[in-house]
Amino acid sequence: MRRGLWDREMVALLLLLAMMPMVLAWLGFEGTDALGRLIFTLMISGFWHLTFMLARAQPPSFAGVLTGVAVAMLAPQDLSILQLIIGISFGSVMAELVFGGWGRNVLNPATVTLAFLGFGFPTSPWHDFAVPIAWAAIPALAIGAFFGVMSARLILGALAVAVVAVLSGLAVGAVLPMSGIVLALLVTDPVASATTPLGRWLNGALYGALIVLFAVGWQGAAAAQIAVSAALLSSLAAPLLDEIAIALWTARRRRRHG
Amino acid sequence: MDLIYGETMFASLLSTGLVLPHSGRQSAQGDVRSHLTVEAAVTHDGREDLRVDLLVAEDESVSQGQPLMRLRAAPGIALVAPMAGRVARIDLHPGHRLSQLVLFHDKGGDRHKFETKGAASRTTELRVLLQESGLWRTLRSRPFGRMPRAGETPAAIFVMAVDSKPGAPAPLTAIAGREEDFIGGLDALSRLSDAKFFLCEPQGQSFPGQVPAPVTRLSVGATHPQGLAGFVVHRHFPARADAPVWDIHAEDLADLGSLLSTGYLPETRLVAITGDALRDSALVRCQPGADLRGLSQSLVRPGPHDVLSGSILDGRPAHWLGTRERQVAVLERTSGPDARHWFVGALKRAATHAPIIPTAALDQALGGALPAAALVRALASGDTETFMQLGGLSLVEEDLALADYATGARPRLAAQLRAILTRIAVEEDAA
Repeated sequence: MRRGLWDREMVALLLLLAMMPMVLAWLGFEGTDALGRLIFTLMISGFWHLTFMLARAQPPSFAGVLTGVAVAMLAPQDLSILQLIIGISFGSVMAELVFGGWGRNVLNPATVTLAFLGFGFPTSPWHDFAVPIAWAAIPALAIGAFFGVMSARLILGALAVAVVAVLSGLAVGAVLPMSGIVLALLVTDPVASATTPLGRWLNGALYGALIVLFAVGWQGAAAAQIAVSAALLSSLAAPLLDEIAIALWTARRRRRHG
Repeated sequence: MDLIYGETMFASLLSTGLVLPHSGRQSAQGDVRSHLTVEAAVTHDGREDLRVDLLVAEDESVSQGQPLMRLRAAPGIALVAPMAGRVARIDLHPGHRLSQLVLFHDKGGDRHKFETKGAASRTTELRVLLQESGLWRTLRSRPFGRMPRAGETPAAIFVMAVDSKPGAPAPLTAIAGREEDFIGGLDALSRLSDAKFFLCEPQGQSFPGQVPAPVTRLSVGATHPQGLAGFVVHRHFPARADAPVWDIHAEDLADLGSLLSTGYLPETRLVAITGDALRDSALVRCQPGADLRGLSQSLVRPGPHDVLSGSILDGRPAHWLGTRERQVAVLERTSGPDARHWFVGALKRAATHAPIIPTAALDQALGGALPAAALVRALASGDTETFMQLGGLSLVEEDLALADYATGARPRLAAQLRAILTRIAVEEDAA
């Protein structure tokens, strides 16, 4: 009879709320230039959501705003308008909307967009952020975990790997700020990450491990490139991690109950 | 109505479940009044297929507990009169399917005495008595959540002395003062078969009496949905198609005890009336199948409202109290005429419903007992194999009602669960 409030749009709005500290810090540091980019990405993302609503009666979602924000913040610099349009269109349509919209997709559309732009136009330099914006990722993650729209286990899993790497003296210091920003923007997307408790720990740990691996072994890669690649690969592995977690769970139950 | 769900992260570390908003004031657990409504009915519960042979005709006088009809498929199972009175109306659907049988109360009416000789110690007699007295219908068999088949032998029986549904009357209050009857029922039912026998009690508030030896006592958390039979069954003895698990409410078991000791069925059960359309919520003792309007009339505030049989989460609009229900929810009617903008309407009436996002809210609504997102996906895609692997056979509609409420799922998860259970039941019956 009565309905609670944890439907899809509420989750999307709470994720947006969680990102606000980071987005505001970013806008504060980079000014009108960043704002222009943000409005542009939002327009393209919104255009595709409206198109799919009118053509396929598919409900649009505030998740389109999340995509717009992540792309505006992380996309390589000096891309032409056409390149940006192609990138966002590819990400939104092929990674999200053709599956039936946010919640039915496999990968985060922003991750796909960024990977597409980064690997498709490798001459454009990747973006880098002022350090305070990375600090703002901490409240972002905290808000998300508090409301339960981001997985605390995933965040702690990534954090644990980062702590181990720092303590063991690996040269990861340069990529950590960017990794935190990408963790909040892309990796913690509840749809594109693992959904079981164990899977979430593994998902976070895998993201952290990939960051460490790339930071140590990938010569000449920008911090954003490393973080986006790690996000893409860990998100691709998320269903596998869930399968492992569920297989372990059912095996344990079978042992207990026969 | 919103959901108090701030401490998600910490709540998941300490307990699993959701704290729900109060729907109306909770009345003190002492001032219970007895209220037999003028009308009462024997009905089907919405999805049961009750093909019956009538034993009474309209206008006939019946005594309380007297068998009114028998199931065609299992003539041993009777449905009995919830109170003494006169048969006012009998509605049958085609094929002798019961719709409802309405009774008018008769104050000076008799009570039907059952033959209980030997039933307390011999299993065949007990089974006959349970089926003859209509108490068989208070048992629920999982998988599929239906009345047990006449010859069914359970692999385990759970007695629920805990109920965590919002606003539910505490079962231990319902059986307070009837400890003897409860132990008598426990003793008899534990000898019905060599099934494992569990007594589920609220944490830190166990049943005061001594229970018979073969009964395992389980302490169950108080946060909804921990106190639902489905999750207890899932945790301690998952139901399988070849190993059905029964559950019974503590008060119904006490009824069995008094039936065995006196030969009469108790006349009333404890029912909570809650909801935001009431001036005051109340605990009453009324007959099974009571008239819900009659029960709530003196409590309701003026204005449009809906009366549900069941809690605010899993109740359904009804005229009569359901077979196993112990709650009446009276809610203000919120859905007015839709005068929204066409664009908003287009968004709401999309071709596909928005999917459920796997957040902590979903995990908690399922008590952290099973991989929630995987279960939701299996339900949506009708994947019976994964569904059974995840333990879905232990669940019935009421177990997913909280997830439905929390996520506002469309179509409702409970309806999807029923659809998949029906499909599995058809396959099982064919095999």
